[in-house]
Amino acid sequence: MDWLGEGFKRAIDLIVSGDAETWHAVWVTLVCSLSATVLAVLTAAPYGAWLALRKPRGHKLQAFLLRIGMFVPTIFIGVLVYGFVSRHGPLGSLDLYATRTAIVIGEFLLAFPILGTFAYGALAKYDPRALETARTLGAGRARTFFTLLGEVRMVLLSAWLVALARCFSELGISVTVGGNVRWDTRTLSSHAMLEVRQGDFGMALALGLILCLLAIPVAIVAHYVSQEEKE
Amino acid sequence: MWRALLLVFLVGCAEPEAQPVRLATTTSTANSGLVDHLLTAFTEETGIRVKPMVVGTGRALAAGQNGDADILLVHARPLEDAFLAEGHASERRDVMYNDFVIAGPPSDPAGIRGFERTLYPLLKIRDTGSLFVSRGDRSGTHHRERALWKDAGIEPEGLEGYTEVGGGMAACLIYADEKKGYVLTDRGTYLAVRKRKPFDLEILVEGHPTLRNPYGLLLVDPERHPGGNAAGARRLMDWLTSERGQALIGAFRVDGETLFHPNARP
Repeated sequence: MDWLGEGFKRAIDLIVSGDAETWHAVWVTLVCSLSATVLAVLTAAPYGAWLALRKPRGHKLQAFLLRIGMFVPTIFIGVLVYGFVSRHGPLGSLDLYATRTAIVIGEFLLAFPILGTFAYGALAKYDPRALETARTLGAGRARTFFTLLGEVRMVLLSAWLVALARCFSELGISVTVGGNVRWDTRTLSSHAMLEVRQGDFGMALALGLILCLLAIPVAIVAHYVSQEEKE
Repeated sequence: MWRALLLVFLVGCAEPEAQPVRLATTTSTANSGLVDHLLTAFTEETGIRVKPMVVGTGRALAAGQNGDADILLVHARPLEDAFLAEGHASERRDVMYNDFVIAGPPSDPAGIRGFERTLYPLLKIRDTGSLFVSRGDRSGTHHRERALWKDAGIEPEGLEGYTEVGGGMAACLIYADEKKGYVLTDRGTYLAVRKRKPFDLEILVEGHPTLRNPYGLLLVDPERHPGGNAAGARRLMDWLTSERGQALIGAFRVDGETLFHPNARP
């Protein structure tokens, strides 16, 4: 069990020494997770809101599917995306396999149901007639829609943080479609997995700890958001 | 000798529910189906159960060192010799070998098809800046890769097309297929991946003795790590290196191809 203490020591060493490979993995993790979740906020939040406010035909089924989507394992998303982006798949000509773009696509699919479900849940309680009322008061339809989205911004922020946390820690997508390529698509979690495979548990623990450090600012923001919501 | 045999006999009789022999082995032997093929016959013939633990050579040696395994079937000769020298194992025996090949895209941009030695192909891969996919994980295969580059007088890290993919042999093969690169692989994993998914890579370089990949059996020293099934482990070692075990290894086929060649000394 020496590697336990060693893991903590090496985590500090890696950070202090500015180990290039570790920082690259931090960068890949951040870039992919942030891109994927911001894209999800921009698309899934309006979609969830649209389901909740406009109540189109089949909105309940769609909301249910979004909810199911939150339970889909990342390895399933990874394999599914691989099927599309592989050179042998329908999007093969784009040569997306083992690129950060492919990881972003997968993590976007991971984040989308989270944002969609939270947005739907937050707005479902609004009376659809509120939209009509606002319109009669002279507000444009689109403006009303985004005003209501703004009303639930704290919920959306929480949802974004949850999605971000899942993207930071996921392994199934970054390994399956990212390929865990050194200096290219290797994230903190896929790097840690490689160290486990090599029997270097100390290094794996160190990388896991760095991932935890990344999560701390996210956790702090999430904490204050939840405080503000209660008030 | 007689005492050992008697002990095996007594252990066999007195404890029919003896704990299974813990065999640590590598993915190449397990993924191909060889381990199941051999262990099924062994258990049928001797009544001794074996619990295989499938890991890389590095992990397998670590398991032996920690007393988590009774016997190892691995492929990294220098590491095996060190393991024996350090007294972790009481005995090492040759058992079989399989072979490495260089696989690459059918278009073969470096023009290496048909060579037996790897020297010229590696130089061509370097000179054409072709993609070469490395395991980069200190596995037995990675050690061999490094040795072959060294023989060719090339330091591969820093080469334009040299890419490390961390995910095991199958992951490297899939990456090489997707990106039309070259890769050093054991024949068994190559055949297994080709069978399972759309896959274009072809075997381009094969056949030279330097591409042989010998497997050793290491008996974990029972005095250093008591509590395992040392008698069963010895039976397994004797059986695998016996005429019967060797014949079964040689008869094992995947898609009609021989993967492992027995080479135990009688």
